[in-house]
Amino acid sequence: MKIHVNEQTLELAENSNIEQLLIYLDKPLMGSAIAVNQEIISRSHWADTILNEGDNISLFQAIAGG
Amino acid sequence: MLNDDELLRYSRHLLLEDVGETGQQALKNAKVLIIGMGGLGSPASLYLAAAGVGHIVLNDFDHIEVSNLQRQISYQSDDIGEAKVEVAKRKLQQINPEIKVRSINKTMPEMQLTMELTMADLVLDCTDNMASRQLINKACVDAKVPLIVGAAIRFEGQLMFFDHSETDSPCYHCLFPSSEEQTLNCSNSGIIGPVVGTIGTLQALEAIKYFFGLPSGIKNKLKLFDGKSLDWQTFTVNKDPKCTVCGQH
Repeated sequence: MKIHVNEQTLELAENSNIEQLLIYLDKPLMGSAIAVNQEIISRSHWADTILNEGDNISLFQAIAGG
Repeated sequence: MLNDDELLRYSRHLLLEDVGETGQQALKNAKVLIIGMGGLGSPASLYLAAAGVGHIVLNDFDHIEVSNLQRQISYQSDDIGEAKVEVAKRKLQQINPEIKVRSINKTMPEMQLTMELTMADLVLDCTDNMASRQLINKACVDAKVPLIVGAAIRFEGQLMFFDHSETDSPCYHCLFPSSEEQTLNCSNSGIIGPVVGTIGTLQALEAIKYFFGLPSGIKNKLKLFDGKSLDWQTFTVNKDPKCTVCGQH
């Protein structure tokens, strides 16, 4: 299936969850926040949130500066 | 009641249908704690003082360095070496002698923060590190005090508002659960002044709207600002039932 991650389209296996996506992208699990279709998915739900065809994923890091 | 000087000073607020004398009086009664007096806290505090927030507490342990002056607009070259909160306090009182400003020139231990929160209606997190952000979030959740969080780095800004007086409110920790993680800060990544200024200014706007009783555009939302494209992204933050900070409340 095709999904969009930070506005780039990529091909992912059906029924993949968020944790699998991050491993596939080789992104650190610790520092990241993730939103599916503009809704933040809390870390405790990464493993049980199944991605669907056409989902818009936003992946970003906490920033602490000020 | 507003006195004659205040009626004149705030006349451009009073003209607004959403504000009027009731709104201005609410600002006058408001008590805001600003933690961190750098690139976010500078514009946030200047606007809150000018607007007439009646009680402002400024907290920062730091002294002014020359490298601060590129973005921390409360300070000037003459101020180098002085405590940020003392210089900022002086500046705010010069802008608006009608308000009360108090300064706390140290990193507050948890107990003192808890005590300060009993006197605060609203907190602005304007700090520059993850450990402080997590500590402030937890204290605000426990004390049920609303929290407006700003952060900025490079050309990027983040802005969010959690009203912890509501029991079902999500919190900063629901969004960013680890204080251990490698986070970016101004001294290791760089920052553009107007980017951090934009976020600090919007923290002030949301604070003022809160006291006017106007709905917030960022409540339970995370806004990401891209200073290059000037695009904003908006995300909904849901309460994490397993959150170790707000989950059990």
